[in-house]
Amino acid sequence: MTIQENKKSTFYKVGRRHFEYRIIPKVNNVWNRTRFPFTKRHFLKWRGVYNINGLKRERLLKDKMPLWWLIGLSLVLFVTPNLSPQLIGVSSIFCIYSSINILWTLIVGTAGIFSFATLAVLGVSGYIAAAANVYMDIPWPYMFLIGAFTGFIFGTILAAPSTRLDGLYYALLTIGIAEICRVFVLQLRVLAPQNGSITKVDSFIPDKYFLQPEGMIIGFYASFLLLLFCLLIWRLINSERLGLLLRTAKNSREDEAFAEAIGIDFRRARLWVFIISSSALGFVGAFYAMYFKSISPTIFSIDQLMILFAMMVIGGIGRAEGAVVGAAIVTFIDKGLIELGPIRIIIIAIIMLVVTIFAREGITGARKQFRIFRLRKSGERRALRTEKNGEVMPEEATEIFDKQEIYYRRFNKRLRDNLKKIITPELIEEHKKNPTGNHSDSLARVLNFFRRADTADKYALKKIKKTNSKNVYQVIAFSGIKTHPPRIVDDKEYSELSEALHAVFILRVNDLLES
Amino acid sequence: MTNTRIFGYSNPLYGKNGDKFDFHISAEGTKEVKSEIVRLIHGDENPEGPGFVEEKINSNFQKNIQVERQYTQLGSYAVVKDDKDILHNLNDFSIYAFVYPTMTFGNRFNSEEKLKSSGKGRQTILGTWSVTDNKGYGLGINNEGHLEFWIGNGKVIDQIKCEVPIVSNFWFLVAVTFNSETKKATIYQIGAQNQWNSLEGTHVEIDFNSIVSEKLSILPEKSDKPFLFAGSHERNDDRGDFISLLYNGKIDTPSVTDYVLSKEEIFNILENQKPKKHIAIWDTSYGYDENGIDDIIFDVGPNKMNALGYNRPIRAMTGWNWKGKDDCFRLDNKQYGGISFHDDALIDCNWSVTSSWTPDKNAKSGVYALKISSKDKEEYIPFFVTPKNPKAKIAVQMSTFTYLAYANLALYFDGSITQAIYGMTPIISDEDIELYKLSEFGLSTYDHHNDGEGVCFSSWKRPIMNMRPKFRGGGVSFPWAFPADLSLLWWLENENYDFEIITDHDVHFGGVKVLKNYKTVINVTHPEYYSTEMLDATEEYLRDGGRFLYLGGNGYYWVTATCRNDPSCIEVRKLDAGSRAWEAKAGECYLMSSGERSGVWRSRGRAPQKLMGVGFTAEGMDRSEPFERMPDSFHKRVSWIFEGIGDNEIIGDFGLALGGAAGVEIDRYDLSLGTPINSKLLASSYGHSDNYPLVSEEITFNFPGRGGTQDPNVRSDIVFFNTLNNGAVFSVGSIAWSQALPCFGGKNNVGQIMKNVLNAFIKDGPLPGSQYIGDEKHWR
Repeated sequence: MTIQENKKSTFYKVGRRHFEYRIIPKVNNVWNRTRFPFTKRHFLKWRGVYNINGLKRERLLKDKMPLWWLIGLSLVLFVTPNLSPQLIGVSSIFCIYSSINILWTLIVGTAGIFSFATLAVLGVSGYIAAAANVYMDIPWPYMFLIGAFTGFIFGTILAAPSTRLDGLYYALLTIGIAEICRVFVLQLRVLAPQNGSITKVDSFIPDKYFLQPEGMIIGFYASFLLLLFCLLIWRLINSERLGLLLRTAKNSREDEAFAEAIGIDFRRARLWVFIISSSALGFVGAFYAMYFKSISPTIFSIDQLMILFAMMVIGGIGRAEGAVVGAAIVTFIDKGLIELGPIRIIIIAIIMLVVTIFAREGITGARKQFRIFRLRKSGERRALRTEKNGEVMPEEATEIFDKQEIYYRRFNKRLRDNLKKIITPELIEEHKKNPTGNHSDSLARVLNFFRRADTADKYALKKIKKTNSKNVYQVIAFSGIKTHPPRIVDDKEYSELSEALHAVFILRVNDLLES
Repeated sequence: MTNTRIFGYSNPLYGKNGDKFDFHISAEGTKEVKSEIVRLIHGDENPEGPGFVEEKINSNFQKNIQVERQYTQLGSYAVVKDDKDILHNLNDFSIYAFVYPTMTFGNRFNSEEKLKSSGKGRQTILGTWSVTDNKGYGLGINNEGHLEFWIGNGKVIDQIKCEVPIVSNFWFLVAVTFNSETKKATIYQIGAQNQWNSLEGTHVEIDFNSIVSEKLSILPEKSDKPFLFAGSHERNDDRGDFISLLYNGKIDTPSVTDYVLSKEEIFNILENQKPKKHIAIWDTSYGYDENGIDDIIFDVGPNKMNALGYNRPIRAMTGWNWKGKDDCFRLDNKQYGGISFHDDALIDCNWSVTSSWTPDKNAKSGVYALKISSKDKEEYIPFFVTPKNPKAKIAVQMSTFTYLAYANLALYFDGSITQAIYGMTPIISDEDIELYKLSEFGLSTYDHHNDGEGVCFSSWKRPIMNMRPKFRGGGVSFPWAFPADLSLLWWLENENYDFEIITDHDVHFGGVKVLKNYKTVINVTHPEYYSTEMLDATEEYLRDGGRFLYLGGNGYYWVTATCRNDPSCIEVRKLDAGSRAWEAKAGECYLMSSGERSGVWRSRGRAPQKLMGVGFTAEGMDRSEPFERMPDSFHKRVSWIFEGIGDNEIIGDFGLALGGAAGVEIDRYDLSLGTPINSKLLASSYGHSDNYPLVSEEITFNFPGRGGTQDPNVRSDIVFFNTLNNGAVFSVGSIAWSQALPCFGGKNNVGQIMKNVLNAFIKDGPLPGSQYIGDEKHWR
């Protein structure tokens, strides 16, 4: 047999230096690890690996998100005070919107309830807290409690239909509720003189500093704290028990059924997330009223809601970083570039459009999406350059642990190519006549190749006892996985063993010729 | 597919009439089964033979048996006897051990995808951990392949793990220290490889060492369950207590101290400087004598808390400090502290006795079975009844060792080379598939444990699915071993020979006395597994005038022993050049049950040819061939064997095993391997295909053309020779021989030869033809 050179293959050089920082720990050094207080968690997640090329033990940062959060939040915290009062205001509003978005993300993403009543909860709580302060002279610190309690009650009421209604219907219902709230407030006779607003609300910003640079700074720090508070809630719900339970039931109906089957009460978990988030929204509502020292019916308006929705879509639904990044972009355009006038709304719409078209999961999901895209593209490119069961290319070789496999691929391809040439109708006829025993050299070669193939998908025969004590045979194929049963190849039954053996032979010849 | 499942086993597997047999049965899908005792006469349902034949025994055995589901504990582990609860009341402590894991994902290819797909969970190396209660402590390998120490107080579990995965097939020193005051735990994973003991050499050593220290949040609570090696405690309502999170790999010298060892002290252990005091130090190299070792793992510390192995952790394995020169524990037991654990090992199902039967004192000796059946399922539990007072002239030695060695064979599903060995496409039944999926009753000595290590133990205290009358097994379409041997019994019965059965175990334990009760002894189709005791007994029997028919292929092959305290269990290690399903690792070639080197008898100076005149030469499973007479068969010394056979008659061109009397596994005459010089080569087979290649132990240098069509050594021989004191051996080196007997109602030329031999063998005095001691003198 001759070996032909494979002209098709082009081999590119592979291999690279590290592109990310790796720590090479000192031999026999004790690694003292510290934990986040009161938890079993560490500050950073590391991954220890053996680099088999460098024969070194290495330590990599497994999850870089905490670092990005630290950098992002520090930037906001330390840069904002040095900005103009107007931009400080923008930054504060960014913090408030981010907080609202994070809580909304909990409802939409973690709990999976498509609620548009976010601002309704926030508004109602804000109104009641403000009214308590203005009309009942309750001091401002209590407003937070009143807001949170209102949020809790309202959230509980809203949660009830969510168990009954699905997706779109529930979304419509909540939009309706927001609208009812707006109309209700507008029609309140007490508030008619102020067009439905409550003004002169007491606040953590002393009256003398209100709208003054000092007041702006106080407002910013307070908003920043609010953002941290909401992130903490996010963390506690999403990454702890409730979030874990819900993640099991998240992806599909089957997952829900599975979760239920193993005893996870995901409906209950969902309601709890909704109620806790609503309480927190109530808290934010009170904060909102205090920050602006007033609250007006616009809080219930559809356009306000849509701005928030835009933030989530742009940032990426279902993740905290999406909520924050989306809020940053939209707030900056909407409030920071106010001189642009109505155009800025168009810009937001365009961004939203571009993001939804190109990034399925918002800006923060773009990286992952790009990686998948890159993987698919390189797969496609590899597929173009190789034939089925062909040579291993250098870039594939890096993924094969046992290098002998690479040789097997090359060898088997050549062997198959040579065997294909000796398969003739006469050879098949020879096997048909006599499937066992002595064979011609050519047939023996072909059979030897078939017999020593790997177990996975290897054919065998199944003997089935019929009631008339005659046996029939069926072709099966092994799974190649321990304790996994073989599969049935087709439903043809052969009454003679020699027929069945020949059927297996024909299947194998077909597989060979197709490869 | 049926929903009812009935399984069972008999303990003991063999006994004399008058002895009690206990049946252990587990059933699902039914509460009651019909039962009767039968004597098995023929097992093969092949229409060319007599079909399945059984005889109902009129005994007062119960007609129905109440049955229930019984559970099986898979996996080997060891339980520490700690009466004073010392290991549960530790404050500060350190645990250390040398380990050689064999099933981790940290194959230095830190692929997380691989890890997920393997679906293998946590493994406990040492500890008192209770999975159900979340109490106690455990040192083990977590499901990401990292060494981890975990504790629980009933509510909260806390853990500390090493930074890098622990790696399969390398020795490590692993340790954990815990300070109960500060709750500070430190975990150590320190590479302990040398030039000999691990998969790779020291010249490409990677820094495996990882030491991590951390304050834990809780203190462990007492688990009130014994300290275990290689497992954790679990419980569920149906099954009760059982052992889970089993470990795969070796453990050497596990030890516990009641104070926190310093880093220096731990590193000193590698230099053989043990810490100054221990509360437990299990010296796994202690307890060897020249005949092996038992299951007790001795605590040589002050508290003597010995551990006892279950499902036979494998001893006589190399330890962390193995240096290659001493390749047996008899040379230096200190280097043999390795104990190997496997999560799918099974020696004893430990089921409770469902029913018992004592054969009548006058019952005919034979192969009996408890036949139990429900609506849609039928099960035979065979057992062997040997005579208390032997009377017959003929004994058939049933190959109980072989039945155990092949018990629950799964090779034909897992091995990619099986089809190449068989030379044909395997034929599998629904039952095979069902059992393969179940994989619940342990493995044969042809299989590998989950971690890829070979299986060296097999016992009868578990259902053996291929030791069943109708079984057509191993992916071939004909019966193998036990059911095939029944063909011989049917023929003897059909020809009205008065015979009794004995077993390998009888010969092993009873020695030559057992054989001497009989004028002639017949060995069955595949007596592949033999102990020194059995060889010696047979040789002595033949020297004293005994007569032996060896009617099998690949017999007298593997050096086998029974476990020291358990006759139900045999041990064999596959090595040397034998046709081996797995290969013992360097330094692990000696049996823990007898201290002997295992492997093939040929490498121990007792090639099968020496005893029986023929020895293993080839195997194939595509077709069997016939024999033809060789010139020796016309010598007057032996020509009586061929009375009624034509000079050119083809012998055995029929058979239930692939259509011939010579096939499956075949043996040949070879003077260079010790075939006695007085042997007559009576007949040989011819025409074998290339799917019968020469076996590996025959090959020194390999070259092409060693299959049946080209190599003259691929053949089966029929050999006869006289032994001292009127003894004789008639050997047919072919598994398929006995399976040719039942064809044509038992009236065929294979049977004719058998009759000629048997009729002469059972007569007292010299054998016919023995007076012709001279050879031909050119008269013709």
